[in-house]
Amino acid sequence: MRETYGVALPGMNLADLTGKLIVVEGTDGVGRSTQIGLLKPWLEQQGRAVLETGMTRSSLAGRGIKQAKEGHTLGRITLSLFYATDFTDRLLNEIVPALRAGFVVLTDRYIYSLMARAIVRGIDPAWIRSAYSFALKPDAVFYLRIGVDDLIPRVVFSRGFDYWESGMDLHPSEDMYESFRKYQTALLEQFDILGEEYGFDVVDASADIRTVFERLRAGVARVLSGEPREPLFAVPRPKEAVEEAPEAEGLGEAKAVPRPAPNKAGTVGE
Amino acid sequence: MKRYGEHRFPGKLFVVEGIDGSGKSTQLMLLHQWLQAEGYGTVFSEWNSSPLVKETTRRGKKKQMLTPATFSLIHATDFADRMEHNIIPLLKAGAVVLCDRYIYTAFARDVVRGMDPKWVRELYSFAVKPTGAFYFRVPLDVAMRRILDGRTGLKFYEAGMDLELADEPEESFRVFQGRILDEYEKMVPEFDLTVIDATFPIEEQQVQMRQIVKAKLVQAKRLRVAP
Repeated sequence: MRETYGVALPGMNLADLTGKLIVVEGTDGVGRSTQIGLLKPWLEQQGRAVLETGMTRSSLAGRGIKQAKEGHTLGRITLSLFYATDFTDRLLNEIVPALRAGFVVLTDRYIYSLMARAIVRGIDPAWIRSAYSFALKPDAVFYLRIGVDDLIPRVVFSRGFDYWESGMDLHPSEDMYESFRKYQTALLEQFDILGEEYGFDVVDASADIRTVFERLRAGVARVLSGEPREPLFAVPRPKEAVEEAPEAEGLGEAKAVPRPAPNKAGTVGE
Repeated sequence: MKRYGEHRFPGKLFVVEGIDGSGKSTQLMLLHQWLQAEGYGTVFSEWNSSPLVKETTRRGKKKQMLTPATFSLIHATDFADRMEHNIIPLLKAGAVVLCDRYIYTAFARDVVRGMDPKWVRELYSFAVKPTGAFYFRVPLDVAMRRILDGRTGLKFYEAGMDLELADEPEESFRVFQGRILDEYEKMVPEFDLTVIDATFPIEEQQVQMRQIVKAKLVQAKRLRVAP
């Protein structure tokens, strides 16, 4: 049966949420939406009903958040709670009904991005974890992991540096580039911490789109076939297993036998 | 990020709590007058006052699209905005800040709506602990009479209609407020709320309140306002 991260919400029957909840996480500009755009038609070709959802798109708070960001007027705690409201609206009005109807829900980010952003802005990690403790545990979290040096050219040659994605509200530096670098480095650090705690499946996102997609697809196939989840990031394996681990970070090919996972050092190292 | 009880500010914070019809707003208004006359820089901070979040809350209520969880979170967002942009700066400046309703209202209301009591308390743990928190205790019947006289209709969420307690708004309101009362009673020892018997004459209640506030302000440095 589906579980939450601690607290149950009134009136929610967890037993009938039979769909699959798949999260694609990763920092700004890492290619999450591109990958989701590839995963969705692939799943639909196999006859799976798919709901695609993302951040700040709820009918309740989406507009308010947009306005708030334009004016840059919200405090840190307020902004975190506004995001939590938006997330909850989406969880209850989009994700839960779709899971109840047996859909595969592909979500572009989940609570982890919201937590990482809050924590780098000085929010107490214990507080933000508690705030989101009613969230449903997903069937898998695919974390598109990238180093800041690989991230920067992508952002430069696509849409450029964004005020929020550079953490300019934190004023770490006058210079947008320096600011982006510092902010994203801090964010990626938080993602690694959260990844360990919540058992992310790590996908090396510095590879080309096709390679990343193939890995993601294998991971999603594994989740949908009902094979037991392997929290690659979370559980350090015995030494022998580590030596057999594939060279690539994170997800390898889906195999029938439980695949040895790289230990933390192998996964994180750059 | 400072938690409840960890903040240290020169200003003072007094809050009133109680169900609708307990007379708490009247008492706070009288306290405000007195504090000003005594020369304290005193400011009201109102519930639901943030323009930004207000719009979202209004939409949610109008379209009845709020669940207990989103109801709780949107109000927490609004409260946080008030805390960060209004209450904390005022307390830093040394003002006496008065709040008609505070976090205890949220605790009562959200728990009655089925939210986990510990979760709600943790959610609001960024709030400043008040210098004094007054709870105006009143029997349900007395409060109901005060409110329903001269009222033409209760609002959907105000009457707790989302909880489907009763078909009639008035009956729903009665059951809902009764449950809120139970939650308040639990919070009296938990948060050391100062209980004022709200069936006493208005002047008597005010005398009690002023005595308590005065005692808490004795050591406080005054923020003098220009005449």
